Amino acid sequence: MSAGQASRQGVTEALGAPALAMGATFLAFGAAVAEAGLPLGWALLCTGAVYGMAGQLVLLQVASGGGAALPATRAATAANARFLPMAVAIAPLLGRRAPRWLALPFIAITPWAAGMRRLPALAEPARLPWFLGFAVASWCAAMAATAAGHLAAPALPLPLRAALLFANPLYFALLLAADAGRPGVAPALLAGILAAPLAHAVGGAWGLPLAGLIGGSLAFLWQRWR
Amino acid sequence: MSQPDLALLLTVLVGLALRGLGLLLGGALRPDHPAIAWASAVSVATLAAFVTLAIAAPAGLLATVPLAARLVGLAAGGLAYWRLRGRLLPAMAAGLAALLLARLLTG
Repeated sequence: MSAGQASRQGVTEALGAPALAMGATFLAFGAAVAEAGLPLGWALLCTGAVYGMAGQLVLLQVASGGGAALPATRAATAANARFLPMAVAIAPLLGRRAPRWLALPFIAITPWAAGMRRLPALAEPARLPWFLGFAVASWCAAMAATAAGHLAAPALPLPLRAALLFANPLYFALLLAADAGRPGVAPALLAGILAAPLAHAVGGAWGLPLAGLIGGSLAFLWQRWR
Repeated sequence: MSQPDLALLLTVLVGLALRGLGLLLGGALRPDHPAIAWASAVSVATLAAFVTLAIAAPAGLLATVPLAARLVGLAAGGLAYWRLRGRLLPAMAAGLAALLLARLLTG
């Protein structure tokens, strides 16, 4: 497969269920930004450059409620702390050459999950082009959905927006269930489910990364020692 | 610069730094290095915890959807995914449609 074919295939695969899942979530985000009285440019900058919904929601809360920059940054960073282990895990699949840095701004949950499933089966030269094709297409879908949500906010009643927010967890629930057979996934999946009450109890922006860190580390250790 | 704009700028910079650090660390290691497996396990566990919370005890607007409707949406999506042999798009459409229907029926 040539690099061009690989990137086109990445684009095609992004414009199915992943675009629907992301589109629905970012549509709801765009509408929430409009409702908070913030401009379209702020919504697009937030989606395009932060590109991690958990952190975006924290920022929106601060921007609309008023708050100091440093605590807001700390909370938004905690909410998106998963970027670090995700980038470590996907790095070997993106190759060792300089063009892999092109992938940097697109390392987010949807391209990451798709890349971890898809890249190992591709020949090494096709991996980065596939990932960039997928990542740029899904980023464009997120931007378009944010703009559409912002513009169409009055036409999106709250119950519909609430339902749209379900698209993302449903998408990842299906992906995780499908991936449970891949080596190493099932124990981490189970540990994450069992750690969810901890995330709930800790709450705030730190609950989820802490639960993921503890659950994932225990799953890793269990696999090493059994 | 206003506080929200400063928070946005700082969050973007820290996000890029986290991703860059991850690429740097992961790129320097062998693909079969234990740290790569550990990072994968932490990422999957975080994602699983997120999905579990989003379905069982969501925050924000999703919390206005009754638990029964969320469970019906998940079950319908899972069933459609299984029956349609792993086709994600129609499975998601089925899950969302079922959630909306269940919400209408439960009020």
